[in-house]
Amino acid sequence: MTALLEVRDLVTAYGKIEALKGVNLDVQQGSITCLLGPNGAGKTTLMMTIAGILRPRIGSIRFAGEEIAGRPPHAIVAGGAALVPENRLVFPNMTVLDNLHAGAYQRKDDFASDIERLFTRFPRLKERSTQLAGTLSGGEQQMLAVARALMSRPKLLLMDEPSLGLAPLVVEEIFRIITQLHQDGVSIFLVEQNAHMALKVAQHFYLMEQGKVTFSGTPGALAEDEVIRRAYLGSARA
Amino acid sequence: MILDLIQNSFDGLAMGASYALLAVGFTLVFGVLRRVNLSYGPAIMFGCYAATWVSFSFHSNIFLLLGIAVLGSVLAGTYVERLCFAPHHKGSAIAAMVASFALWMQFEEVVTLVMPKHLYDFPPMFDAEPLAIGPLSLRAEALVMLACALAICFALHRMLYRSRFGLALRAVTDAPVAAQLAGINVPRVLLLVFLLASAIGGLAGWLIVSTHTQVTPMLGMWSTLKGLLAMMIGGLGSLPGAVIGGLALGVLEAHSQWFLGPQARDLIAYLLLFVLLAWRPRWMTTSHG
Ligand SMILES: Nc1ncnc2c1ncn2[C@@H]1O[C@H](COP(=O)(O)OP(=O)(O)O)[C@@H](O)[C@H]1O
Ligand SMILES: [Mg+2]
Repeated sequence: MTALLEVRDLVTAYGKIEALKGVNLDVQQGSITCLLGPNGAGKTTLMMTIAGILRPRIGSIRFAGEEIAGRPPHAIVAGGAALVPENRLVFPNMTVLDNLHAGAYQRKDDFASDIERLFTRFPRLKERSTQLAGTLSGGEQQMLAVARALMSRPKLLLMDEPSLGLAPLVVEEIFRIITQLHQDGVSIFLVEQNAHMALKVAQHFYLMEQGKVTFSGTPGALAEDEVIRRAYLGSARA
Repeated sequence: MILDLIQNSFDGLAMGASYALLAVGFTLVFGVLRRVNLSYGPAIMFGCYAATWVSFSFHSNIFLLLGIAVLGSVLAGTYVERLCFAPHHKGSAIAAMVASFALWMQFEEVVTLVMPKHLYDFPPMFDAEPLAIGPLSLRAEALVMLACALAICFALHRMLYRSRFGLALRAVTDAPVAAQLAGINVPRVLLLVFLLASAIGGLAGWLIVSTHTQVTPMLGMWSTLKGLLAMMIGGLGSLPGAVIGGLALGVLEAHSQWFLGPQARDLIAYLLLFVLLAWRPRWMTTSHG
């Protein structure tokens, strides 16, 4: 396996406060890689930096062999990485169908069949295709956010806490979709608070605490209760 | 009395149609940026002065003047966007507003430097006498104003809901970060929205000055005020609201001028602005579209 995404010495700051203090990690081609860590560790900051919404101060992000650090977000989508952002961020005053069209904004080819395929995968979205996205339930909005990201046909899907605030049954469905997408060949970089579910699907995981990666390994490498303790609370050193 | 009421309402609607256009331009920019561009009117004034200058220097055809007014507004609008609102000048809304005020002063300086008189004549749209329909009189300019407003609304609606650019515009208005993540080149959309708004503003400016047949540097502040006011009446950020707000403002002004005299016209507008700012009704802050 080769690394699809390589993050090196990445520093991103809000004003004077560094939220990422030199992050290093890889996402292997064809893998599900998971990033765990307590609130405020810098997970969202990392995702937003990879997606180009935030500009890093120092460091490198190589994606599919190209340096993408500091590129604008639309260029990164064009390059094949799409982010399903924290709190879903659908277009609330646009219809479900228009949300999907917006996701395909950069595509010049015909994407009607993609919409059909996504509607088979997410039948609820088909039922509600003419409804405004803001009227959907939290779970449906999450499905829509995933479907919108898939419309750009990404090689790498970045997901920031897709299970946040959702009922257990919906969370299971989200994880079922993640494994399906993985089987279809999409590489996935997943931020999660739900360590238990995440460790079940991931091939590799990282722990992040206070802006730094503090552990890297396969799901068996660290006792799950230790991972969960550090993912929720941060390590004792903190 | 009834006839006067009808006549005033019609005249008000026609004037309101040009206010509606001003408000539509204002709203397009406010919708995507959530910022007030004080230089919106002065950029229109700049375009109208350019047209006036051409008419004095070359004795011009009215459609050429329309073209110059639109082009001048677009150029001035682009200048405002690049200097005050372009995304690499991100920062506080206050900073952008102050910057747009500074450009307002620049535009006034430039036009008064080149054309220092307080007032210039502008060629009328038509030489024709008003059409008489029974006891009512119908100015051809009024019909042109209404027709232009209608055509622009129709075209905008189609653009918003049928075109790729319309989709991008709605997405940026609705959730700018999500639009970036969807792969939309947001800075480019913002620039194009500015150009579009300036072009519509330029058309509105031409309609107004060729109806009034005169131009003064006050046109800048006047256009910003009327556009802003109509946008506020219609609920900040809603395009259909901007149209309704413009028409309502026109009719209100026409009637208050009739009942209270010509000085009341602008006074009522300022008073309404004051009331809306103090009262901040619910519809003004919650609507979308
Ligand atoms: N917009 C912001 N402005 C200033 N500080 C921020 C901003 N967003 C996040 N932070 C800070 O950056 C740190 C990392 O936040 P974040 O990346 O959201 O963490 P996580 O997603 O792991 O919960 C936190 O200390 C947070 O307070
Ligand atoms: Mg987060």
